[in-house]
Amino acid sequence: MKQKILKFLRSMTFGMILLGLIVACSLAGSLIAQGKEVMWYVKTYPGWYGILLKLGLNNVFYSWYFLVLMVLLCLNLTLCSLVRIRRVYRAAKNAVPNAAKRTTDIPLSPEKLAEFCAYLEDRRFRKTEIGDAVVYSKNSLGWYGSFLTHLAILLTVLFGAATLYLPQVMDETCLPGETLVMADGTEIAVDSFHIEDAQGNLDYASKIHVTLPDGRSSGIQEIRVNHPFGFGGYKIYQQTYGTAGAVTVRDKATGAEDPFTLTENCFLSADGRNGVWFEALYPDYSRDESGNFTLISQTSGRYSNPVYQILIASDGVQTPVLAFPGETVTVGGLEYTFEAPVEYPGLRIKQTPVIVNILLCGAFCLMILGLWFCFFGSPALVTVRPDGCAIGGPKPQGTRMELAALLEDGIQEKEEEKC
Amino acid sequence: MLNILFFTPLVLFFLAVILGFFGILFHKEQVSRLSWWLFLGGTAILTAYLAARGVVAGRIPLSNQFEFATAFAWGIAVMLIAVQTRAKAEWIRVAAMPMTFLVLSYAALQPREITELMPALKSAWFALHIGSAVFSYASFVLAGCAGVRYLLISRKDHTAGQLVQIDYLSYRMVALGFLLLTVVILSGAIWAEQAWSAFWTWDPKETWALITWILYAIYLHLRLRKKLSGKVMAWMVVIYVPVVLFTFVGVNTLLPGLHSYG
Repeated sequence: MKQKILKFLRSMTFGMILLGLIVACSLAGSLIAQGKEVMWYVKTYPGWYGILLKLGLNNVFYSWYFLVLMVLLCLNLTLCSLVRIRRVYRAAKNAVPNAAKRTTDIPLSPEKLAEFCAYLEDRRFRKTEIGDAVVYSKNSLGWYGSFLTHLAILLTVLFGAATLYLPQVMDETCLPGETLVMADGTEIAVDSFHIEDAQGNLDYASKIHVTLPDGRSSGIQEIRVNHPFGFGGYKIYQQTYGTAGAVTVRDKATGAEDPFTLTENCFLSADGRNGVWFEALYPDYSRDESGNFTLISQTSGRYSNPVYQILIASDGVQTPVLAFPGETVTVGGLEYTFEAPVEYPGLRIKQTPVIVNILLCGAFCLMILGLWFCFFGSPALVTVRPDGCAIGGPKPQGTRMELAALLEDGIQEKEEEKC
Repeated sequence: MLNILFFTPLVLFFLAVILGFFGILFHKEQVSRLSWWLFLGGTAILTAYLAARGVVAGRIPLSNQFEFATAFAWGIAVMLIAVQTRAKAEWIRVAAMPMTFLVLSYAALQPREITELMPALKSAWFALHIGSAVFSYASFVLAGCAGVRYLLISRKDHTAGQLVQIDYLSYRMVALGFLLLTVVILSGAIWAEQAWSAFWTWDPKETWALITWILYAIYLHLRLRKKLSGKVMAWMVVIYVPVVLFTFVGVNTLLPGLHSYG
């Protein structure tokens, strides 16, 4: 019974069932929006949100049953790889001696046989003479193709899971000139950020520098989309961006000045009664002939014509006003000078063991290599005897096709007879 | 000029399909040959179009639906010519030429203006990731075409040798497509880590690429381990073609995600 279960767990049938179930889960996960609020599902799927939530279809890829499927797949791959490696090693080791024992199943005339042997030698087949048989072999590493592929898939799933669950990821916004301090004391400072480069092309580049708790500094580094920067176990990505308003407040009486960055609604005031309410910053506007403004809220690049929407609060009266960069508003003894907006980056800071990423990339390379061996470097074995030849190897069909194309007859007829 | 270079192959492919159809229907060898020459001409001009667009744009023309669909049609055409030349499989034209025309027609329906490459696509992985996808999808489409041919002639009295050849070619195309799709997924994963900080995010495009990969993996297992061949395998490669097309077109249009710009 135990043997039967073990045999089933390592079987291809079990593997196929698991793959089918993973496909089913993936289908559900791609067709149903993932990770939304519960109320979203209630509104979107009024008829069956209950069962959807109960089955965890709102978060399929992190559900317990998907995890079980992946664990079982790993088990299947491990067991089948363990069995496969012994079998493959034996097959590879004894390939040529076993091929020499093959009896001829394709009769060929001596002329055709000579032509065929010349063709094989031309195709860089290795010639081994054993008794009265000559074995032509090629791609001996190809025996390990399937094993390497399955091993690589197993390693990819394992290391992939590690890269998914091990890193600590933080998303932070940071205004130029500000510094983020990590839990271990590492400081990440943003020196500057721009959305567009000097030519006006979208660029999204930040200049940052990282200082580790021991005082080591990275120096100024530029990060942009696709070009993160790693230092001291941290990897910093240019993730998002934003544009904030900027205002300088000057006390008319004392001459003291304070610059503020306006990232959210706020009330700037000395007495809490008279001052400026910052409502919003718009990237652009249009103005019709009668002087009416239409504010534009969407833009993909730099704010071309920024405009501040503010309320001036004076003795309990609030007046809505549009303020443009460079303009000054005086209220309650303070001068508010609106500046050009400030562009700032959204950084993703990832703390991850680099070795896991390297191992995962290694598994990727192994998978490509394994697949290449499987499909394009498959072992080919041809046993030649004076009366004809026999074609062997794990995928003899390709060699048969080549031989058929070469000789135009013989093999083709043999195939037909077999069919 | 670019428009002429784009629409000429479309017209040539259309004529090639029509003439190819008549050539087969009325057993006119010369008409079939003319159809093939038109197809070759169309492919050559399409190659010139892609090269010219690349020069004008200053980048590889693979950055949006139009460019990818055009490259996809070109990929099918180039692979068809390669298969025809190498494997002497003239029969594959019958289904593959209409597919090339259809994919290019789909491209013609997309906006054609040349846009600046968005920062997210400015990566060393761009060419490998999307270039492999072009040839991977093209291989799967050609495998499907071989499957169609297999199913059509298996009803009639044809030599088993021909069926074996078609079946084997279909498998080889799937094997090539599968290897390239693996390159697509893995290079995409490395690129995703560079761009979005995670190798895998279960984005709809990633998920559908994985679904396609698993479906073809099942095909390959059934073929190589269970030694299945013939009609069942032919049906599989035919049925999988819509999945490939959905991964390309459907996901981008119906399932918004991180790849929506593509």
